[in-house]
Amino acid sequence: MDSSNKMSTLERGSSKHPNDETIISFENVDYSHPNGTAALKHVSLSVSRGELVAILGTNGAGKSTLVRHINALLKPTHGRVAVFGTDTKETTSATLSRKVGIVFQNANNQLFSDSVRSEIQFGLKNFGFSQALIDERTRWALDTFGLQQYADRPPMELSGGEKKRLCNALVLAWEPEILILDEPTVGQDSEQKEKLIEMIRTLQNQSRTVIVVTHDVEFIWPLQPRTVLMTAGKIIADGSAAEVFGSVEKMKEASVLLPQLVELFNSMRIAQYPANVFQAADQISQLAIGGT
Amino acid sequence: MSQESRVGPNEIITIGGLSYRYYGSAQLVLKNIDLRVSAGEIIVVAGKSGSGKSTLLRAINGLIPHQHSGDYSGSVIVDGLEVSSTKMSELATKVGYIFQNPENQIFMFSVERDIGFGLENLGVPRREIRERVDWAMETLGIKHLALRAPHELSDGQKQRVAIAGVIAMRPKILILDEPTSLLDPFTAKGLVKVVRDLHDSLGITVLIVEHRLDLVAQIADRIIVIDEGKVIYAGPPREVLYNSETSLYGVTEPTIVRLAKLLPFGKEALPISSDELGRQIRDRIKEKGRVSPA
Amino acid sequence: MQWIASGFLFVRGYSLIHRMDPRIRLFLAATLFIVGLLSQSVVELSVLIALCFVISLVAQIAKRFSKSLVFVGGLSFVVFLISVFLSHQSVTAGIINGLRLFEVIQATSIFFLTTTPDELEQVMRWFRLPIDFIMVFVIAVRFVPVLLMDAIQIMDAQRSRGLEFEKGSLIQRLKNTIPLLVPLIAVAVTRSLDLAEAMDARAYGALRRPSSMYVLAMRASDYASLLCFALGGALGLYIAFFLKLF
Repeated sequence: MDSSNKMSTLERGSSKHPNDETIISFENVDYSHPNGTAALKHVSLSVSRGELVAILGTNGAGKSTLVRHINALLKPTHGRVAVFGTDTKETTSATLSRKVGIVFQNANNQLFSDSVRSEIQFGLKNFGFSQALIDERTRWALDTFGLQQYADRPPMELSGGEKKRLCNALVLAWEPEILILDEPTVGQDSEQKEKLIEMIRTLQNQSRTVIVVTHDVEFIWPLQPRTVLMTAGKIIADGSAAEVFGSVEKMKEASVLLPQLVELFNSMRIAQYPANVFQAADQISQLAIGGT
Repeated sequence: MSQESRVGPNEIITIGGLSYRYYGSAQLVLKNIDLRVSAGEIIVVAGKSGSGKSTLLRAINGLIPHQHSGDYSGSVIVDGLEVSSTKMSELATKVGYIFQNPENQIFMFSVERDIGFGLENLGVPRREIRERVDWAMETLGIKHLALRAPHELSDGQKQRVAIAGVIAMRPKILILDEPTSLLDPFTAKGLVKVVRDLHDSLGITVLIVEHRLDLVAQIADRIIVIDEGKVIYAGPPREVLYNSETSLYGVTEPTIVRLAKLLPFGKEALPISSDELGRQIRDRIKEKGRVSPA
Repeated sequence: MQWIASGFLFVRGYSLIHRMDPRIRLFLAATLFIVGLLSQSVVELSVLIALCFVISLVAQIAKRFSKSLVFVGGLSFVVFLISVFLSHQSVTAGIINGLRLFEVIQATSIFFLTTTPDELEQVMRWFRLPIDFIMVFVIAVRFVPVLLMDAIQIMDAQRSRGLEFEKGSLIQRLKNTIPLLVPLIAVAVTRSLDLAEAMDARAYGALRRPSSMYVLAMRASDYASLLCFALGGALGLYIAFFLKLF
């Protein structure tokens, strides 16, 4: 018996248009750490161009291990990962990162230059951009992320929020086709989270593929991404945000808390979840006060 | 100044006119702060990073002024002791302090050794260390981890170990400086419950810095919002969340509060959890059912 | 995190040797070390080396013990060559010098491979070393795997920015370590400042001689072992000084 036959639609993933171009595919991927601890177990996943995917799970569920396979930082112990049709075993992360940009959780783990400007230029130089293009992209990054006034200051002197912004800027500077954000909201205040939402929306409008690894469900819910739920190295649900967050059992299994709006509507036994507070207010007003 | 900061009854922390500037910094990080905390309160401290909230908390356990150099004026009285003239080690028995990064506050090679660390420093006799360490592990439900090494613990477990290490010193005040910011929400929720249980069973006074107000609003007696070294708001959670623009000061408003503010009845009902709001909506629906058929 | 640390230092064993009081283990290793150092006999040194191997078998560390064999053996051979060809000593003296180095390293590693950092810390306390000194040791050992993990994360981040650490000339490769070392130092400094605050907040430094939760306690078997090792040591020294074995 093929076990996939028994899987519900939820586990198989969201339906896609047949002509959607798959750019990331995991085929039955296992990954074990050098000491033998299994970190990914039978992971299958495919992502199409332009999708917004949220990967949810507690610390240690395997989210970070999974995304590190997409730019070949890690390579599967068993199974196959292909990105833009290339098996990651046949390339290096230094090459693949040109197309797959990862913004890591901890900004302090990468900033080293003597100025914000040269920090941004580092990647562009590594990827062999021409000097003219380096200048142009650096200017763009400084402008877009509001970092002009810091251009000549050492990154170490920036505040936590500014450092995080710089990390986003220095990756987006080389315009990767896939952007991966690893826990982008950790340690960020409300204003910075708003900016992040804006950035993701802009990238979506440019049909860029964005993968967000997060445990911040309040942050991700209004974006209504395709949602992949992980626990103990396995994907246990993959579908629309409403589908995945709506399956209370799976969420419990993964120890992921529900967004407050979902919790609220569950308590009212309404499965039509609003994406944001405005929709919620409309729905509630109609119920409790009587619509116009 | 000292006239104003006379300690009231049942008051465990009295801060009067506290200003502070780190050595080499141009700006004051705390500006003339007045704050009184009663014994047994749970206070949530919120504000942007760099607002001065961590500095304020460090002024309560004595890291400021004792371990940082800078300009200090005003007075902080903790359980009858003037902080600036009390030794750190004595303050350590009054105020337990939990830091953000769980990794950086566990020193020893095993959990129980680490929990005993503070007691060893104070020269507590061995038998009593054993008793208090056992009691602290029992209280936090981590007895089974006693002989584990730090690297064998999850982040949530590490924070519990850190709390046990502090509780073993029997402080009257527990300060937690963004204890959950590196934890996932599920683990964070568990940690908040641990703190509440400690408060309920030991009557300990709690000051906790937390960005996710949805996690802590329900257990707080007061929320204090700090910005640019000043106390902007201080009051019961419902009052602060509904009568102020906390989001201007970097506080992530709970989704439920944002929603309730959009609802016509939200400003009377003041819900701070989805359970509360759900109940209120159901009541409205019932009411409407009674009224409209007429 | 765990997978890094597990390959590191923290190896708990349950053999006869591991269950000894760490001070007895230290005594055993020190005895082997001193007798080896003073011995002038190929036969005696060979017996001592054999003894080290037997102990490593009993302690179930033979595998890790033999890993270093090639290196230590090579080093000993170099010492032999130097003695014979540079210092113009006799071949026998050369062999003795080589064997002696070999034996001394083996004796030392018996102690370090069977002793957890925790036990080592207790032995240091028993020797009444200053607490600051002990804590430097404790924290250094405790944070080796943590910093290693930091280093891996930093390398991941820089590889993801197109850096190839292994590429280019020697000078280029040295340059490539800057994006690793600068953040690593920054992270290490942050950790140490955090640690300092956390230690202060737990009354570190209140007393020059803190109390200790554990004390090392000798059991009957430890006294018996001590007696055996002392007699063995005396015999070894007697042989080394008075019996002119080959």
